[in-house]
Amino acid sequence: MLKFASKPQSAALAFLVAGSAWFLIGTLYGLVAALHLMAPELYNNISWLNFGRMRPIHVNTVLFGFVATTLVGCAIYYVPALLRTRLWSERLGWFSWLCWNAAVLSGPTVFPFGLQQNREYTEYLYPFKVLIMLAILTLIVNLTLTIAGRKEKTLYVSVWYAVGALIWTAGVYPIGNVMWRPQTQALPGLVDSILLWFYGHNMVGLLLTPLAIGIAYFVLPRVTRAPLYSHRLSLVGFWALVATYTQIGGHHILQAPIPNWLRTVTVVGSIMMILPVFVVLANLWLTTRGRGMKLWGDPAGRFVLAGTMWYLLVCLQGPLQSLPSVQAVTHFTNWVIGHSHIAVLGFAGFIALGGMWHMLPLVCGRKLYSARLVNLQFGLLLFGLVGFFAVLTTAGLIQGHAWATGETVYVVLPSLNVYMALRAMLGLFIIAGAAVGLYNVVMTLRHGEPLEPAALEAEPLDAARAGEVSP
Amino acid sequence: MKMTPALLIIGGLLVFWSAVYVSVILPWETMPDDKSAAWMKWTPDEAAGHDLYIRNGCSYCHSQFVRAVDWADAGAGRLAERGDYYEQEPAILGTERVGPDLSQEGGEHSDDWQRAHFINPRNTRPMSLMPSWEFLGDEKIRQLTAYVRSLGGKTAAYRVARQDKWHAAATAAWKLGVDKNVDWLHEQVPAVWRPMPNPYPATEAALQRGEKTYQTFCIGCHGPMGDGQGPAMHYLEPPPLNFTVLRRHLVDGKYIGGIFYYQVMNGITGTGMPYFKRELESEKIWDVSNYIEVRFLGYTDATLSPQGIPAAYEPAWENTFKPPSATGESK
Ligand code: HEC
Ligand code: HEC
Ligand code: HEM
Ligand code: HEM
Repeated sequence: MLKFASKPQSAALAFLVAGSAWFLIGTLYGLVAALHLMAPELYNNISWLNFGRMRPIHVNTVLFGFVATTLVGCAIYYVPALLRTRLWSERLGWFSWLCWNAAVLSGPTVFPFGLQQNREYTEYLYPFKVLIMLAILTLIVNLTLTIAGRKEKTLYVSVWYAVGALIWTAGVYPIGNVMWRPQTQALPGLVDSILLWFYGHNMVGLLLTPLAIGIAYFVLPRVTRAPLYSHRLSLVGFWALVATYTQIGGHHILQAPIPNWLRTVTVVGSIMMILPVFVVLANLWLTTRGRGMKLWGDPAGRFVLAGTMWYLLVCLQGPLQSLPSVQAVTHFTNWVIGHSHIAVLGFAGFIALGGMWHMLPLVCGRKLYSARLVNLQFGLLLFGLVGFFAVLTTAGLIQGHAWATGETVYVVLPSLNVYMALRAMLGLFIIAGAAVGLYNVVMTLRHGEPLEPAALEAEPLDAARAGEVSP
Repeated sequence: MKMTPALLIIGGLLVFWSAVYVSVILPWETMPDDKSAAWMKWTPDEAAGHDLYIRNGCSYCHSQFVRAVDWADAGAGRLAERGDYYEQEPAILGTERVGPDLSQEGGEHSDDWQRAHFINPRNTRPMSLMPSWEFLGDEKIRQLTAYVRSLGGKTAAYRVARQDKWHAAATAAWKLGVDKNVDWLHEQVPAVWRPMPNPYPATEAALQRGEKTYQTFCIGCHGPMGDGQGPAMHYLEPPPLNFTVLRRHLVDGKYIGGIFYYQVMNGITGTGMPYFKRELESEKIWDVSNYIEVRFLGYTDATLSPQGIPAAYEPAWENTFKPPSATGESK
């Protein structure tokens, strides 16, 4: 019974497939939300299509469903692969998969009934939060025991990030969801916001970011067949990330009545974030130096490369918008929604997709059904996302500057209409990209040409590990 | 430095948990948990409304704190304080303003306005992006309204009491009949504003601007014909004013501009009629007054005397309108 669940790498594959499916589902809900903001009478007064209920489905499904699921799928493939072993238990991996995806599924099935928690990113109901914790804890057990049974002594940097992401999230998640108070999953009073935004910020910073960086460290050296530029920079980047990222959740509530010292820590920390970001990017880009065309020519490599560029943009925008004088205009506006999309889709999502297209053949033992479809998806997503960024940033500046000169929120609404319409339209490209991707995954599994077993084993990992010996 | 499993896991956890100490535990321990002067305990209805607010995701569009830089929307001027959120669980501050901040919403509008608005926000706010909540049913809309009344604590309670007081007075006046109601309304307008003409010429361009303002702000209540038959009328008591009856209520047989300006600027607290002084600057109010006068009264008092030195930009324009007779017939 359940033989498929003990097949090597089947858990990783399950995560990747689920991620691709959530990508399509989650973005469709994004469209439902976007259409409401474009034309509020389009499906008015229908409880299960109400904006306040659809938005959290979109956000949670793309964040936990698409991006995080795909990233975890890649991690549970590359960790054992880099350690020349197998995942400690495929069945336990499937158990994590089940818990995780049941929680994600609760979004579209429970939120439409007006049952949700409403603190951003903590909307899932309590039982599903428990499932997420179970998934995280079982993944930790699985990876730790995989490491314990490793045949390769050195831990490559991608492994650090995968383990880090999980052990930190195991702390961030219960704190942010106030899991010791199941009645409300919140603390009374203003202090709740501090916990919430410590969490909200670290969900992207200590879960998505390290998992994505881990993939970049894996894919880029392999595609370019170049040794990692510097071991020392990897170390600096890793420790600086956890030391800095954790301190800056307060920049989401900078203008709320939180203590002043916390504001200062937050703003200074946000600017300091430039350090871990640039160290990592420098390390990655110097690794691929002189081999850019090779990277660009590889469909998966292209995704990861573009993801690192989005990372740069996100992390230039991030410190900028943590400055109080900038936030006076940008906070509360669509500018932040622009940041969220280039961050979660551009940076973490692009790298997750690059990782998936790179690893899917290794995981399922078949060549990609179509590299051209991967490139098509890349084009669709890039076009949609660049458009999103432009449109939302513009809309945000219009809102922010109008408010700052004394206009009310209502008066500015008509000027936003064209941007809301453009956003919905551009969303169609992203959704098309998700559909193309899902099709490609399914066709790969059903019709992809089998890979030579040799290609699966020894060859692929040497290039990446070569980095261990350089400085 | 070589990364070993022990260093990775123990080191990673150490750095992480010390950060938790600084960013979470320290503020949690040191932030006083006290009430602000404005804080008030929720009634069961208000708490039920807060629950609905949470479960329906109102906070994705509404924030609940006023900042120093806020200027125009409700509550501007009273900065949020830590103690405003005492005992609220969860206190949802919000990160986006698709709609306005609600932390000081209590008493901004009459309860019937809130109900008309919840049933369909386009009733009272034609360009609104807020979803309709009619599907929640009457009882839940009542709870939401109770919650919204409470927003702002004691500062709101003061405004709410004012709404309730004038609501009683306005409803009583409305029950006396259409004309007595208008008399009552005009008695409330300070005497200096009453015999005052609209100082701006009612040029075609001005009327077009006025029409735009009317459609963006007024049409849901006063209706496309100015007869008070907008979709909100089913929910408002007193109902939106039918402008055409004002033909027989001109001050001294000719003035109405000053009353319009005052009423639009200030609103009629206690009724659905909101104040617009934050959204419409003076020219827009005069323009929409001219629009209402010309379109729905068939008459305007624009540029009648007393008039000062005309503004520099005013074009040559002559008022050829004749006041209607006291019975409301055009002369
Ligand atoms: C899609 C975003 C959206 C959602 C969700 C939403 N609103 Fe609104 N809301 C708005 C917008 C936009 C306005 C401004 C225009 C207007 O008054 O309708 C507004 C205005 C309001 C106002 C009037 C503020 C004033 O004084 O002008 C109240 C009260 C209000 N909303 C309450 C709620 C409640 C309660 C909920 C949840 C049940 C909610 N809103 C959900 C967008 C939203
Ligand atoms: C939410 C509904 C609503 C909206 C929106 C609204 N009104 Fe009113 N208005 C009323 C109601 C109700 C009254 C009458 C109150 C009464 O009879 O006691 C009224 C009364 C008035 C009066 C008083 C006339 C007088 O002679 O005293 C004027 C003028 C007026 N509205 C103009 C406007 C203008 C201009 C706008 C748009 C900028 C507007 N209203 C928007 C509901 C509304
Ligand atoms: C995988 C791709 C996507 C990701 C990762 C993503 C992620 C997110 C995130 C994190 C938010 C929350 C933003 C915040 O609160 O600051 C959000 C909001 C939103 N997204 Fe997406 N999104 C994606 C695709 C789309 C698409 C295709 C559409 C539209 C067609 C869309 C429309 C929206 C809308 C309308 C909101 C709410 C904005 C608001 O409240 O004003 N998203 N998305
Ligand atoms: C240098 C690093 C970064 C800094 C300094 C930074 C800073 C900020 C700030 C100040 C905000 C709040 C803006 C406001 O509300 O006014 C914000 C929001 C956000 N950031 Fe970043 N950011 C960084 C990197 C990232 C990354 C890497 C991701 C995702 C992988 C990300 C995802 C988000 C999301 C989703 C939000 C919206 C939160 C919400 O309001 O719902 N950020 N960021």
